[in-house]
Amino acid sequence: MKPILLLAASLLLSAAPALAETGEEARASRGSGGGDVEGCVECHGDPDLEVTLESGETKKLHVDKDVFLGSRHGGKLSCTDCHVDLKGSEGGHPEKPFKTSREFVVRYSEQCRSCHSDHYAQTLDSVHHAVLEKGNLKAAVCADCHGAHDVGRPGEPRASISKTCAKCHSDIFATYSASVHGTALLDRDNPDVPTCTDCHQSHAIASPRTGAWRLQTPDRCGACHGDEQKMKKYGLSNAVLKTYLSDFHGTTASLQKAEPGANPVVALCTDCHGIHDISKVKDPGSRVLQANLVKTCQKCHPEASANFPAAWMSHYEPSPDKSPLVYAVKLFYMFMVPFVIGGLILQIGLHLWRVVVKR
Amino acid sequence: MTSEFIQRFTLRQRIEHVAVMLTFTLLSVTGLPQKFFETGWARFLISLFGGVGGTRLVHRGAGIVFTLLVIWHFGSAFVDVLARKVKLTIVPTLKDFADAIGTLRYYLGMAPKQPTFDRFDYKQKFEYWGLVMGGIIMVASGFLLLYPIFFTQLLPGEIIPAAKMAHSNEGLMAVLTIVIWHMYSAHLNPDVFPIDRSIFTGKISRERMHHEHPLELARIEADRNKPTES
Repeated sequence: MKPILLLAASLLLSAAPALAETGEEARASRGSGGGDVEGCVECHGDPDLEVTLESGETKKLHVDKDVFLGSRHGGKLSCTDCHVDLKGSEGGHPEKPFKTSREFVVRYSEQCRSCHSDHYAQTLDSVHHAVLEKGNLKAAVCADCHGAHDVGRPGEPRASISKTCAKCHSDIFATYSASVHGTALLDRDNPDVPTCTDCHQSHAIASPRTGAWRLQTPDRCGACHGDEQKMKKYGLSNAVLKTYLSDFHGTTASLQKAEPGANPVVALCTDCHGIHDISKVKDPGSRVLQANLVKTCQKCHPEASANFPAAWMSHYEPSPDKSPLVYAVKLFYMFMVPFVIGGLILQIGLHLWRVVVKR
Repeated sequence: MTSEFIQRFTLRQRIEHVAVMLTFTLLSVTGLPQKFFETGWARFLISLFGGVGGTRLVHRGAGIVFTLLVIWHFGSAFVDVLARKVKLTIVPTLKDFADAIGTLRYYLGMAPKQPTFDRFDYKQKFEYWGLVMGGIIMVASGFLLLYPIFFTQLLPGEIIPAAKMAHSNEGLMAVLTIVIWHMYSAHLNPDVFPIDRSIFTGKISRERMHHEHPLELARIEADRNKPTES
């Protein structure tokens, strides 16, 4: 999948000369070293400079020189590195053909690929790009998340990531902000909890509605919740992924993942714990609190009785105090299987020895 | 002089064996990959059945057929015993324990000869009752896993993971027993190599009867001679 995408991306990029270079190399070699900005700010330094577009919108054309020089690109790029169409123009340039302000942003974001071809290629795989291709210009492009003249270092502070997504996905952000992950990030700048991009990725953001994406849920949660070091810090068990996979739901999900076009019909992590509204297990409102569990089971198993939730061992390994019956059965077979099979092999060995060797 | 071959199994017993053989194989190839779902061979087997959904469907179908076979076997055995058509030759007796020890002594060179056996020797009885007990565990735990909502209306929820633990381990033990023990006694054993055909043809040679089941042979021949003697 990846190489094909990259190939497609490079075909799209065929106008750019630095084709074969990786993003890193391209970025190092292409900047003009932050040449002349002064010429442009002669006009664009004027805070009142603006133009009325065909749509009737007013487009501000002012660029704060200090903001640009303080950005990640300041001192590295000159204006015409991005505004390549204006290279060589002096003392005014022809008007742009953009009808709307949005068209302007979308078109200029295309320019990022000449240096950031790797990340650009990833966005071609994203749900944002798919929406854009359908003609919906509202879909997020580079500048919407990274900014334009004020490009900063992405993800600093971490909370800025989720706040960036919130610009469009405000409902989900509100839910996330109240979750155990969101509060830790936004209130305490916790370095371990996931921001939006830890689950959804930053550039290759896939649609979360496909079966294939949903079936990756255990891997996604397990990346942190299966990590012993990380979970120890918060007194959480890192056996949750293993115990999930060894039970009916997890085994099914794991096997379905290999099937093309599979649509999960079993409970994934998020079906019990929630998605953006994940709370602490011990919160009174938690769906997985013992008292609320039967209701959660009934979402899929409407006939489930009060006994039913105990059919799931709550991510615990069988032990004498957690599930004594299961533990007893396990112990029984731990002795029984080697005893029976060993006994049979021994008997076969003795028989062969008697009839073949020591006749 | 008796004929060379003696009838050992009825047609019904032979059909039952083939039916159990087929369902057992089907249950194994659809059950084991669910236990070892993370391995490559398991993924391959599951893909042969069209994914996990298809695999489970075949497993459950075969499980229901196996259940019917168990019911049929005990139902008909019960009727036959009541009608005094068969003797309970498969029931373990004290002699079987003595035979097991006697055989072990023979293997170890502490006795010059094997004990003599009747219709079923202690190994055959062990395998039969192992299959019966294992079969009952598999059927009971299998139904618990098939209808967890129904069974937990009355039973505690923990019965479901306990059934899964039992089903998974008992199933593995059954497959290992068949692969190791049954393959040896019915195929690789030098006495019958390459295959003991009697369960398929229903017949066994008088020579083998003399060697493996002399007590039964003596009884058969005594019965046969009775009318001429009296």
